[in-house]
Amino acid sequence: MSLLDIDGLHASVNGEPILKDLSLRVEAGEIHAIMGPNGSGKSTLANVLAGRPGYEVTAGQVSFDGIGLAGVEPEARAQAGLFLAFQYPVEIPGVSNMEFLKAAWDSHRAAQGSQPESAVGFMKRARALAKGLGLNPEFLKRGVNEGFSGGEKKRNEILQLLLLEPKLAVLDETDSGLDIDALQTVAAGVNRFRSADNGVLLITHYQRLLNHIVPDRVHVLTEGRIVASGDKHLAEKLEAEGYAWLSG
Amino acid sequence: MAVGIEALQSLEAPPWLGAEGLTRCRQALGGKLVRETWKYSPLPKVTDALIDANVHQEPPDLALPPGTALHRFDKLDAPPRFGIDLNRYPLAGIVAARAGACWLIEVKRTPSRPLRLAAPGGRINAPLLVQVAPECRVDIEQEAAETADTAGFGALVLVLSLAADSEAHWATAELAPMVDQWSLLQAHLHGNAALTLNHQGAVANFRRQDINVVLDGQGARLSSVGAALICDGGRLDQQLVIEHASGGTVSRIKQHNLAAGRSRCTFNGRIHIHAGAVGADADLSNRNLALDPSAEVNTKPELEIYNDDVRCAHGATVGQLDAEALFYLLSRGLDPQQAQRLLSLGFLRDGLAGPFAERAATAFAAHFKGD
Ligand SMILES: Nc1ncnc2c1ncn2[C@@H]1O[C@H](COP(=O)(O)OP(=O)(O)OP(=O)(O)O)[C@@H](O)[C@H]1O
Ligand SMILES: [Mg+2]
Repeated sequence: MSLLDIDGLHASVNGEPILKDLSLRVEAGEIHAIMGPNGSGKSTLANVLAGRPGYEVTAGQVSFDGIGLAGVEPEARAQAGLFLAFQYPVEIPGVSNMEFLKAAWDSHRAAQGSQPESAVGFMKRARALAKGLGLNPEFLKRGVNEGFSGGEKKRNEILQLLLLEPKLAVLDETDSGLDIDALQTVAAGVNRFRSADNGVLLITHYQRLLNHIVPDRVHVLTEGRIVASGDKHLAEKLEAEGYAWLSG
Repeated sequence: MAVGIEALQSLEAPPWLGAEGLTRCRQALGGKLVRETWKYSPLPKVTDALIDANVHQEPPDLALPPGTALHRFDKLDAPPRFGIDLNRYPLAGIVAARAGACWLIEVKRTPSRPLRLAAPGGRINAPLLVQVAPECRVDIEQEAAETADTAGFGALVLVLSLAADSEAHWATAELAPMVDQWSLLQAHLHGNAALTLNHQGAVANFRRQDINVVLDGQGARLSSVGAALICDGGRLDQQLVIEHASGGTVSRIKQHNLAAGRSRCTFNGRIHIHAGAVGADADLSNRNLALDPSAEVNTKPELEIYNDDVRCAHGATVGQLDAEALFYLLSRGLDPQQAQRLLSLGFLRDGLAGPFAERAATAFAAHFKGD
């Protein structure tokens, strides 16, 4: 049983077909990178996996950890261990980052039938993780992503990843907009997360991330379907030659 | 014993208001200006309630800090001007006539602690004038008692006069009031004076708030941040008139109102920039959330600008919870009710500031827990 099994997926956004016959399999312990030109459907795939309203599966199947995702609500997907790091994390003024993280964590515990963790213990853990990601723990008191810089928002996504310990992490351009130090911090976070039991779907435009996080497979998404797959050398070739040779 | 506007005939004006003041009120009550600003609230009912309400003539419930002095208006040789625009706020004249007394607090030195004012409760409070001397600063805190009145009609008229370079901060928290209320704040700011307002409330009854701030002197500044939760059956009607009468004046207003259940919320923010107010800078933002289809929200931005050299931003929005934010929370495992609660609370908390912010946040949170 694969961790993620996408089979002949067609999906539309607002009635517009975007994903066209996409198939992909991720096994536990694997990291897959997805690359592809702007507008090719990478974020659409990520959102379809997370169950965002308005993203409609018109054909094909997706199963996660052996369970079909059709009709499964976004919160149930998350509680089952599917995590999406947003390309554009949302700002929520008035809701502190800490209470947001605690609510997320409690919902995961509740789904597993556990009692909520004590606030003190949780806060300690959150603070330590924030520090490890180069985020000042003061950020935990601020509104969710409120006034965070682009890089801080991305680090905050990784903080959530490390706290929630999902089975599958879908990272949508988590490396975009990061300076060199932040890139290494984020990569270290992902490497820390990776284990034999979980998997990562890494959406990126840049081969340089793959120097830090070595993928098992690299796929190229063009116009809603995967047109090439290979090992990490595929990413190097894309970096050198662009996408044109694929359509030629 | 509701008898309508005719009952006003029997009122007797205190000397400092004058018979002609009361006549002006009677005329204004039927006039166009008042009718328009009372479009969403029942003026005759409120007038009746004021006639029927109990009167509280005692001094405002204050243990006055050093540096301040309390006077009764009619005991002063030369009382200051009452200072309220009776054409616009005729109800203030009725309150004055019913109360008879009127109090004046002079702030001559910066007090070491805040002035604590009793909340209006279910009675008519004698109008209060607070005069702040140049370069002084005063904090005025007003919080509804835990054991609030459950009957009557509350009225409060507060006049603030800020001398040059003075500062005042008025914060209110009315988180569980049971009675209907009308309140008026009228403030005059002289050169470089600064006024900060923080109003936060839960409204399960009828509440009408009139606020008129006149930025009279060069460089006077107003900053107002407020939030209200209008619960099922509640009616909130906020009417602001901000006047930039001098150059370099600044106003910053942020009001977040959340209407739940079958409630109604009205916000009318009017910014008036006078011809001489060169370089005036006004920013008003009113955001409203209607949680239920049966909730009604009215918000009307009104700008009157008689001058080219100004900066003026006026934004009013009415909406539901932000879909992006909702999905973000769901994608982290929160269930829809919990996500909705957190976003609603966040929206309200984003409109909290000042000494009662935490208490208000706790009260709002309790409301959403009980849902
Ligand atoms: N809400 C929407 N409504 C209509 N079209 C949409 C919507 N969201 C995405 N699309 C379209 O779907 C296509 C794929 O978009 P998507 O965001 O998946 O691309 P992407 O591969 O992630 O691009 P990028 O590299 O720029 O992030 C684009 O043509 C986009 O305009
Ligand atoms: Mg994208």
